[in-house]
Amino acid sequence: MKPDDTLAGEMQRRGVSRRAFLKYGSYIASLMALPPSAVEALAEGLAAARRQSVIWLSFQECTGCTESLTRSYSPTLENLIFDFISLDYHETLMAVSGEAAEEARRAAMAANKGKYIVVVDGSVPMKDGGVYATIGGKTNHQILEDTVKDAFAVVAVGTCAAFGGLPKANPNPTGAVAISTLVAGKPMINISGCPPIPEAMTGALAYILSFGKLPELDHLSRPKAFFGETIHDRCYRRPYYERGEFANAFDDAGARQGHCLFKVGCKGPVTYNSCATTKWNGGVSFPIQSGHGCLGCSEPEFWDQGGFYRPLSTPLGAMGPALAGAALAGAALGVGAALSARSHQKHYLASLDKEKEKE
Amino acid sequence: MELLAFARGPALTFSLAIFVLGVVWRLVGVLALPPWHDYSPPREGAPPNWLAAIRAVFRKMIPHKTFLKDGMFTTINGYVFHFGLAIVVFLFVPHIVLIQSLFGVSWPGLPNGVITGVGGLTAASLLGALAYRLTSPVLKLISRPNDYISWLLTFLPVATGLAATAHVGLRYETMLALHILSVCAFLIWFPFGKLMHAFLFVLSRGATGIRFGHRGAQL
Amino acid sequence: MTAKTTASGAAYDVQGDRADTERRDAAMQAFVRDFARTAAIHMESCLRCGMCANACHFYVTTGDPKYTPINKLRPFEQAYHRHIGPFAPIYRLFGLKSNVSIEMLQEWESLIYDGCTLCGRCTLACPMGIDISELIKEARHGMYKAGLVPDRLELMDRTAKAWGSPASPSEDFADIIRDAGEEHGVPMNIDLPKADYVVTVAPAELTEHTKALSDVAKILNKIGASWTYSTEGFEASNIGYINGDLPLQEKMTRKIIDNAIRIGAHTLILPECGHAYGAARWEAARWYGKKLPLRIIHMTEFLAELVTSGRIKLKKMGETTCFHDPCQLVRRGGVTEAPRAVLKGLGLDLTEFEDHGELAWCCGGGGGVVSNVRADPLRFKAFSIKRKQVEDAKTQHFVTACGQCRITLTLGAKHDKWDQKVESLLELVADHLED
Repeated sequence: MKPDDTLAGEMQRRGVSRRAFLKYGSYIASLMALPPSAVEALAEGLAAARRQSVIWLSFQECTGCTESLTRSYSPTLENLIFDFISLDYHETLMAVSGEAAEEARRAAMAANKGKYIVVVDGSVPMKDGGVYATIGGKTNHQILEDTVKDAFAVVAVGTCAAFGGLPKANPNPTGAVAISTLVAGKPMINISGCPPIPEAMTGALAYILSFGKLPELDHLSRPKAFFGETIHDRCYRRPYYERGEFANAFDDAGARQGHCLFKVGCKGPVTYNSCATTKWNGGVSFPIQSGHGCLGCSEPEFWDQGGFYRPLSTPLGAMGPALAGAALAGAALGVGAALSARSHQKHYLASLDKEKEKE
Repeated sequence: MELLAFARGPALTFSLAIFVLGVVWRLVGVLALPPWHDYSPPREGAPPNWLAAIRAVFRKMIPHKTFLKDGMFTTINGYVFHFGLAIVVFLFVPHIVLIQSLFGVSWPGLPNGVITGVGGLTAASLLGALAYRLTSPVLKLISRPNDYISWLLTFLPVATGLAATAHVGLRYETMLALHILSVCAFLIWFPFGKLMHAFLFVLSRGATGIRFGHRGAQL
Repeated sequence: MTAKTTASGAAYDVQGDRADTERRDAAMQAFVRDFARTAAIHMESCLRCGMCANACHFYVTTGDPKYTPINKLRPFEQAYHRHIGPFAPIYRLFGLKSNVSIEMLQEWESLIYDGCTLCGRCTLACPMGIDISELIKEARHGMYKAGLVPDRLELMDRTAKAWGSPASPSEDFADIIRDAGEEHGVPMNIDLPKADYVVTVAPAELTEHTKALSDVAKILNKIGASWTYSTEGFEASNIGYINGDLPLQEKMTRKIIDNAIRIGAHTLILPECGHAYGAARWEAARWYGKKLPLRIIHMTEFLAELVTSGRIKLKKMGETTCFHDPCQLVRRGGVTEAPRAVLKGLGLDLTEFEDHGELAWCCGGGGGVVSNVRADPLRFKAFSIKRKQVEDAKTQHFVTACGQCRITLTLGAKHDKWDQKVESLLELVADHLED
């Protein structure tokens, strides 16, 4: 590895043409809805950039995010992006293990102090001193603090890292928290999703490399380019929703005719992600196209929304006991109020009778 | 999402519980008062009480022509927003799904375009009702805070519902949460204010129907 | 007794010299006393739509929103919510509904007594079917106990207590009956120990409409009925019912019913009087707690029975008429067809007013308003509706079946210097009996 070389030089040596380079630039630009003028800037920025040191930390996670990234159906592009960066530490992908691996991390940190990017997948357990996930005797929290200290930026990849995800789901036995709650004062991006769309990860990284700054983010620190619209708003089944044509079950006529999945629990209306446009597996499909409603995986607390098959407009939690209790309490109060009014009346009637006796 | 989860979860459960509690409280509190025993013989050919009550409930749906002369706006506008609210509340599919989840019954809904149109008309009608209340000398005199609170809490769900579907204002999930929260406020207020007429009209009309039926008088 | 005015200029009379809070509490307790289910339902149900305003002759002819029927109940709504309603404990606990002030009751005295004839037209206009007129009657129970009643009505109350009738002492009754018989040449029955029919009278018949007394006798004699007038129970108009004086209402009711039972009558005939019908036909049984062993029937119903069954034959008049529906008889009593059947029997061609039957406009004098001189200007305004109806009808006769309506309408015409005679159905029948 020659970190001093520019990416352009590296590519040239590998036989990647400038044309391919520009094509990639325009692909990223279109994904991120950048203006045409940005294509050139992006390509030029990428070409002039030096290989970026990236330290990938995996905490409480399932490796799905890495799987998503590496098993992408557009290997050329992902290879390209991996060629742009120097992945100096990644438990799953690196060859070495044990103390040697940890040593690699420390070396990369030292060599690229203040310049490296920390990518995190997985949430950090905070309960009981964070003992629920340790690497080489150090807790996730310690490793994160240690690694982030000299980083240029932090990218939380996947919903666990971005929002706590499954580990944080009720009852959250490990006290899992999102990375953003532990990283203060560092530029921070969330690429949420379970897993995130590969293009959202690579696109965001390419943007940082090209322009040396973070892309425009939403209120949850997600790149607006990928998380600016809801699944519902861009869903090809939307016209069925507007017409009131719904699947009532996964095996009914509506489901077979591809009607809207709102009634079987689709969370598309409140889920911000680009599944409906970028799609998965190289643009082949996405969950709704495969006949299943959106789970809302790129949103905080998506695991605790009362069930994937509970329609969005229904209440969370069981109503029965609360309402039965309320009805009983109401009846008791009503009877009480009437009795108090009756006793008031009786009292008065008695005084009336006395008055009569006097007459 | 957190606000939406709060709205769909604790807020909705709480407000529905208050709604049920208040409605039962108010109905029982009134119905448990001593009844009036009418020992006078009914007019010959008087209908049985239950029939007189049901007839009155329906009879009162259409005002006498003579009262329409000066009450045309109140009557027509009242019809517009009552039917509008009924259509929007009971024929919008996400609402039907909610009702189904609570009571297990469902029915077909209307296309969203129709619902949006009716919702807009309903909102306009409600604004008209408010304008009339604020300008008519009679209504100014007899109106209470109850009337304005009830108006607002009816208008807000309509307005937030329209805004949410039309992507006006805040992000969709926030507007949806505000819509649900406005419905929660509506539900909490319902039993304690005049919105309760949705239940009371049957009792109120029925009681007069029984009195008039017994006497052979026309309502 | 002193006549006063409130800060806003509303007139009010005060009886007795109790402290204000005592009055207020008495009013609230009396109001609360009879609160039954139906009244409570109605107190809960108002939508503030204002539809009742246009049903009220006082609002329509003055344009003053204070005459909106539901507004006349305001202090009592407040009292209901504070003392009786399902949320009353909450209201009291948090002080959400303040106690009604004496000033408020004083202010409302003229609305409850002068500004309402208990005609119940608003009940028909109310989309919720709230029986506002019945609630005003409940409110009067409170006002009476507070000693906040128009002096003229209170005077009648005291007279009725002392004399057994607001018009004439009981001792004079037999003489009045005999005089009327002599004047019109009709044999009278008075104080017979046993009779099938016992006939009662209204105050107007003891003073202005004495011909009615002999007219009833003429008809009853004609059909050969066993009947009598009774000194022990002759006064059917119930000033207690109108004023909200419940003990008096009970006393007046018991008097005529107990007497009729003692005489062994199977039918008690009520005079041509609206409120007498309301008090006796629908409320008398209340004091007995069971069905009464006799029939209570209004003069108009009785006439209709005789005419339609053919027991009396009438000379056909062959003229045109319009008819004023007395509120208590028709709208609130359900006796709509009977007067029309009698008019038909008289051969009178009836031209109906635009609003007639249950929708008829009140004469403006019911509920004691005609006796309450303080309300005269208001009553004369309301009369304009009736005058226009009669003028539009362009008929030879103008008939009604209630003595109080007849007096109200006659006074209204006189005030307007409008030459219009108001005739009694009973008198027309008596005058046109076929020999």
